[in-house]
Amino acid sequence: MRIGSPKETYAADESLFRTRTQWVWFGILLLSLVLYPFMANLYWLYLVCLICINIISATGLNILTGYTGQVSLGQAAFMGVGAYTVAWLDNNASTPFIMNLLAAGAVTTVVGIIAGLPSLRVKGLYLAIATIAASFILQFIFINWESVTRGTRGINIEPPTLFGVEFDNPDTFYWLVVPVTVVMLILAANLFRTRVGRAFIAIRDRDISASVLGINLPLYKLMSFAIASFYAGIAGGFYAYFYGSINPESFPLLLSIFFLAAIIVGGLGTILGSILGAVFMTLTPELLRYGVDVLEPFVHDASALLSPVRTMVFGLLIVGFLLFEPHGLAEIWRRIRRFFHLWPFRN
Amino acid sequence: MDWLFFFEVSLAGLGFGALYALTGVAFVVIYKATRVINLAMGEMLMFGAYLFFGFAAGFMLPVWLAIVLALAGGALLGLTLERLVIRPLLGENPISVFMVTIGLASVLVGLVEIIWTAAPRSLPGFLPDDPIFIGDAFVAPKTFWSFIIAGVVIAVFLVLFRFWRGGVALRATASDQGAAYAMGINVPAVYSLSWGLAGMLAAGAGLLLGSIAGISSEMGFFGLTVLVVVIVGGLDSVLGALVAGLLIGWIESLAGVYLGGEYEHLVTFIILMVVLLLRPWGLFGTREIERL
Amino acid sequence: MSMRKRTSELFLGTASAALLALMTASTVLADQPDEAEVGVDADEEDAIVIGGSIPMTGVFAFAGLQFNDGIRDFVRWANEEKGGVNGRKFRYVGQDTGYDADQSVGVFRRITSREDVDFYFGDSTAFSQSINSALNRRDILMTGASFASELNNPEQYPLQFLLGPDYTEQVGILLNYIAEEDPGARVALVHSDTEFGRDPIRASEEMAEELGLEHVETIVTPAGASDISSAALELRRARPDYTIFHGYILSPIPDFIQRARQMGMDTRFMGTIYTMDQGIIDEMGDAGDGFMGVMPYRYYYDEEAPDTEVFGAIHEMHDEYRATTYTQGWLAGMLLMQIAQATLDAGDELTGTNMRKALDSLEDIDTGGIIGVPVTFRGNSIPVGRIYRADAEEGRMVPVSDWIDLDETD
Repeated sequence: MRIGSPKETYAADESLFRTRTQWVWFGILLLSLVLYPFMANLYWLYLVCLICINIISATGLNILTGYTGQVSLGQAAFMGVGAYTVAWLDNNASTPFIMNLLAAGAVTTVVGIIAGLPSLRVKGLYLAIATIAASFILQFIFINWESVTRGTRGINIEPPTLFGVEFDNPDTFYWLVVPVTVVMLILAANLFRTRVGRAFIAIRDRDISASVLGINLPLYKLMSFAIASFYAGIAGGFYAYFYGSINPESFPLLLSIFFLAAIIVGGLGTILGSILGAVFMTLTPELLRYGVDVLEPFVHDASALLSPVRTMVFGLLIVGFLLFEPHGLAEIWRRIRRFFHLWPFRN
Repeated sequence: MDWLFFFEVSLAGLGFGALYALTGVAFVVIYKATRVINLAMGEMLMFGAYLFFGFAAGFMLPVWLAIVLALAGGALLGLTLERLVIRPLLGENPISVFMVTIGLASVLVGLVEIIWTAAPRSLPGFLPDDPIFIGDAFVAPKTFWSFIIAGVVIAVFLVLFRFWRGGVALRATASDQGAAYAMGINVPAVYSLSWGLAGMLAAGAGLLLGSIAGISSEMGFFGLTVLVVVIVGGLDSVLGALVAGLLIGWIESLAGVYLGGEYEHLVTFIILMVVLLLRPWGLFGTREIERL
Repeated sequence: MSMRKRTSELFLGTASAALLALMTASTVLADQPDEAEVGVDADEEDAIVIGGSIPMTGVFAFAGLQFNDGIRDFVRWANEEKGGVNGRKFRYVGQDTGYDADQSVGVFRRITSREDVDFYFGDSTAFSQSINSALNRRDILMTGASFASELNNPEQYPLQFLLGPDYTEQVGILLNYIAEEDPGARVALVHSDTEFGRDPIRASEEMAEELGLEHVETIVTPAGASDISSAALELRRARPDYTIFHGYILSPIPDFIQRARQMGMDTRFMGTIYTMDQGIIDEMGDAGDGFMGVMPYRYYYDEEAPDTEVFGAIHEMHDEYRATTYTQGWLAGMLLMQIAQATLDAGDELTGTNMRKALDSLEDIDTGGIIGVPVTFRGNSIPVGRIYRADAEEGRMVPVSDWIDLDETD
């Protein structure tokens, strides 16, 4: 039960954490993130790194799709741009990895703005289709611009180093990717306390009204594309460092659908949704793996069912959540919290 | 310039374009009646092809029976999807429905891989395979016959649209649901009808595509090219799907030969981009649908 | 609406129940082995552990299941008949990847976080590249399904080797054969627009010219199912004497052959390792007759096979035809056994670096009859293969050349 949360200023009303309890929980979360690597084995650290990369990318897509209402099926291809930027810099310029990551973000932002240009002319589904086209064109560039991407042979990336430490294994990489993820999430959450973020929401809710209210539609739409691609670029840069090698087939359309599924399942238009969705979608295959093992004694060749079942479950999750829980896991989370807030009063 | 060669390549392209047109018509039927852009169309096509494979190669049924059953199965799939998934989303944001069809595509791929595994297979042949020459130009028999079949089916559909009660109901619903309903047309039944018909068309196209290029769980990719076709032709225009289907088939074929195979899809998607920027409602589409 | 709400609750209920069940299962099973696992127990101290990212599902499953069987059977045989290496027995742990490079990396992390892996089997070129730095760091020797020319570079990939000639060398063996049989012949290359398909093309075009052959055309087919009508027309226009396919498993090769027949073309069709299994005969029947290609291994039904050590054992275990990919799994094991023996004989630990040193020191390796001649590594590959021809009447592949060692023809 929680009672009374008086707000005396507008700033207090807009703040991310409104109560002391929330600050305490946030502290506990950070602390557990710090302690986690000392308890988990390498495989689980590997999974957490992967989850973080997916969270960054999903957050970007959620800003574009969930908050601004522009459906994009190009997020994976944008990640590819970031990954190739890092790879090229790593192989051709001995810049420090932080520079490379930022460059990945910057280059992807530019590409994202270009790919977002159709949004000035078309919207809704047409835009989604235009992003499919954009991602195929990018894919073609990855394959055929051999002097930069080495084409289908793929390109290797040295692990990042900082102060002489090599971040070449999940246990060290963790310290790189987790803080960045936290920072990017806080930035994203803060974005929606500003004019820009609110303009995005206004565009999503009704673009014509937004425009009447004095929001410059083209500018803000492109800005949304830019921010989403920046996140994709950073995620792609991490992806390149994390896997140590990329090729054009690393960023298929299927991966874009994965991110779309993640934000649908997590909850469109909430930061919490991007986190929950990315965690859930990354761990689902792991859970399925165990599920299949449970079936193994009863079903002939159950392990051969694993990847088709995964494909099907991804689809079912998209359909199921859109039909029955369109606000995603974030909404369920909120419902649970509300239950405890209202606890003795409502049964 | 070798004109005979050019002519042959063009024929091959038009032949394959007929399949784009056929699937494009299925797309348009669904769009006209329910305003859904169905990204699972390629996967419905794949499912139909696999049904045929299952009946003909799995149960060893005679080919004609397997074809009939596969078409019926395709129609049933369309009906089921409409009733279970699309109908409850009626009136929702079109973007949600669009994303649901992406989910459905994934479900169908998973289903096919569970039943038939992901290994590529070839369909039992059911088209005549005596070489065909038009003048001196060679046409691959499969391409030729699938062109003829697709042409006949589309012609039948055009006639149905114009004269059959159901076709008229469909067109009435497309132009104004409310008015159609007021005139006593059973609009929900029209929704079912459109998805059933589209499912059947897709299954038919799947059979033809499968007999030409073999079947695999990745053949749903074909649906993306068809998406380009209907956008270029205009989402609500059967004529547009026809013309754009043949056009894209022809261009892809020329691009494949004169630029190289890796350019085939690139050219298609560049055409899509250009059309979206210059004429988003397509060559023959109604202009109002620009605002979705 | 209430109906909708009820179904919504139903959906949530089912979903969360399923989730809970999975979670419970996962905690129970978390530390239990959950994969193909053969050989001595995990707690046996000095076992030689083979890990594997195996594509048991997905588009490459037909090969992955065979790799899995091959390695498994090898481990049984080596432990029972051979008593392992110097008394150290083998243990094999393989998991499904669905032929997805990210999944393969995940499987590698999973297996290596639990087992002390000495040797690894990978499923794709992309995986081999991704995992390279982790291999070097953990000092594990690896081989796998990929024959990518890119990997045939000991400086960049010091702890990996290929189970035969790389793709460029495979086409090279075909070109050498053509140049010998039919000097100055016209050759066309047909490949898919994938990493796999593009691999040997540029080098092969040059090699054809060097061997005095006339390279008349290179045709690319787009990835995924599509129409090859115009590509077939292009091929006819080029009028090649030999057409080499690369980057396909089966489709669209049958289609090309059929159309070439219909157009009255006179060309010989050839393929590389993954097209050279029984599939081409079983699938095409008479139309496949005369298809030729390079294969670095003996087939199950090879006339000399029963007399060899490995095929003798395989025939004892299986009455029916086993695919060449199954043999490939065996070859990985046989090479590992030789390498481990040499490493232990030199008094070294079984680390990747030591095993690589042993591999480089080995000459004229006896593969137990899988390859017909003793072989020596060149770089990371074994540049040996033989030309076979599909004989539809017999329903088998018959050898038409001797074993060709590129080291001797260069």
